[in-house]
Amino acid sequence: MTGGMTARAALLPLLLIAAAMLGLAWGQITVGPAALWHGAVSGEGMGAAMLSTFRGPRVATALGAGAALGIAGGLFQTLFRNPLASPDILGFDSGAALAVVAATAFGLIAPMSLVAAAGGLASAALVGVASYRRGHATPPLTMILVGLGIGFMTSALATFLMTLLPSNEAGEAQRWMTGSLAARSWDHVARIWIPGALLAAALLVRIRLLGALELGSDLAAGLGVGVAAARRGFVAAGVLLAALAVAVAGPVPFVALMSAPLGARLTGARGLVGRMLAAAGAGALILTLSDTIARSALTGTELPAGVLTGLLGAPYLLWRLSREMEGGGL
Amino acid sequence: MTLRARGLALGYGGRRIIEGLDLDLGEAPMTAILGPNGCGKSTLLRALGRLMAPEAGRVTLDGEDIRRLDTKALARRMAILPQSPVAPEGISVGDLVRRGRLPWRGMLSPWRAEDQRACAEAMAAVELSELAGLPLDELSGGQRQRAWIALVLAQATPLLLLDEPTTFLDLSHQLDLLGLLRARGRERGLTVVSVLHDLNLAARFCDVLVLLGPRGLVARGEPSEVLTPAHLAAAFGLSAEVHPDPVTGAPMVIPR
Repeated sequence: MTGGMTARAALLPLLLIAAAMLGLAWGQITVGPAALWHGAVSGEGMGAAMLSTFRGPRVATALGAGAALGIAGGLFQTLFRNPLASPDILGFDSGAALAVVAATAFGLIAPMSLVAAAGGLASAALVGVASYRRGHATPPLTMILVGLGIGFMTSALATFLMTLLPSNEAGEAQRWMTGSLAARSWDHVARIWIPGALLAAALLVRIRLLGALELGSDLAAGLGVGVAAARRGFVAAGVLLAALAVAVAGPVPFVALMSAPLGARLTGARGLVGRMLAAAGAGALILTLSDTIARSALTGTELPAGVLTGLLGAPYLLWRLSREMEGGGL
Repeated sequence: MTLRARGLALGYGGRRIIEGLDLDLGEAPMTAILGPNGCGKSTLLRALGRLMAPEAGRVTLDGEDIRRLDTKALARRMAILPQSPVAPEGISVGDLVRRGRLPWRGMLSPWRAEDQRACAEAMAAVELSELAGLPLDELSGGQRQRAWIALVLAQATPLLLLDEPTTFLDLSHQLDLLGLLRARGRERGLTVVSVLHDLNLAARFCDVLVLLGPRGLVARGEPSEVLTPAHLAAAFGLSAEVHPDPVTGAPMVIPR
């Protein structure tokens, strides 16, 4: 039993290492492990160029952004106790993306992470206000549907704003809107990993409050949690994590939605901290693998990562919906 | 421990359910709140447990307005278990019960021997110690309900509010649970206020009954004072006889 548990706990880290290695080695040009090793040691040749300039920062960004999306998804799913609640479905990602496109279109000079964060928080506030009914707790499903609606609206606005961009920028923006990790630099790596790690640490410090909220707001209040304030704090942390990821990788669809269930399945984690770590690991795995496959599988064409996460995520969403309908959740 | 309501008015969105209620609770170990569906039993319990704000009046605990008390300090004095709580998927019994220690723990404080003792003791009280490692989903309905009781027992408060704790339990488990709560009242001075739907069980186990009707409080007092044909007619519109229970001597309601 213990041996089995240990082996299972090691599975996700091993998969992550394998995915990162694959991401560094495989592509339109394949660089073998020997060349990568030589590059890492000597700092010269194709291996070194791949590690330091081309694929190294790309893989590191994918790992960080995927982990941030995974935690954000797991956080919302825990908080609203609904497997469909995640920042991509709730429209927060597209809100963040709209802010980035708008800032680009109007020539605003500001750090994109901050712009995305503002956009994500604004759409979260909008979803909160639009699904609010006085004197009643908002059912998660109402919020999810309102979020979907606001997500469509912000996506449409972003598409419209892209038509205002000069054609070369519009192409790039279009690609980014699908969810892309093309041409990432170490600057992007820092922009996701540093604030992402700080937010994750802040979350860890308050994880016991989340554990109480997970039992429902009445029980949480009975356990002495200031429910409204704690909820707002967790929502803000989740939105910020998702927005950080959007700022460096675009609004990649479905990574946040799929991560926590996949992570729980892979690791068997049942405790809250374990499930959040598993969600982070699964998110990093999905995004890194999706990016590697999307840019490498077709000779001569590099597809954005979001194409693949969309292809994976849409059937998952349909399966989830049918399960929720069977279970009476919808 | 005294829990008092004064001039309490409760309602949802303009619809008043309870108006001008005065109630003294907590002098006796076991109190049951009884009444027909929709009379506001759960609403009253929620207001007593500061889960909803009264539209007028106030609830005091040992003389202090509960809405003025620090929420964490209050959670060390009063625990509340809502009706049919929902557990996260896959959570283990032990993990669930440990969460009852939240009001006694700081943000980063480690798990202390005292916390461990309270949880072990709570699980032993509901006879779930052996099942601590199992996922809650794999337990029977009765065991699951006892796990939730263990959570609020682990909270180690002198006052416990329970909303229909015997729902989903078969008769023998209902007797076990109420017996357990009464024993804790005798041995450790635990005060329990619960919403119950079974009049005869309430009469058998509780010291004080609070009977609500469609137009508010009908009667409050010892079971024999409260469960009278006239009060039952006023609360439930029920025509019933009341006889002493041949086993315990408590009043027993027999509908005609």
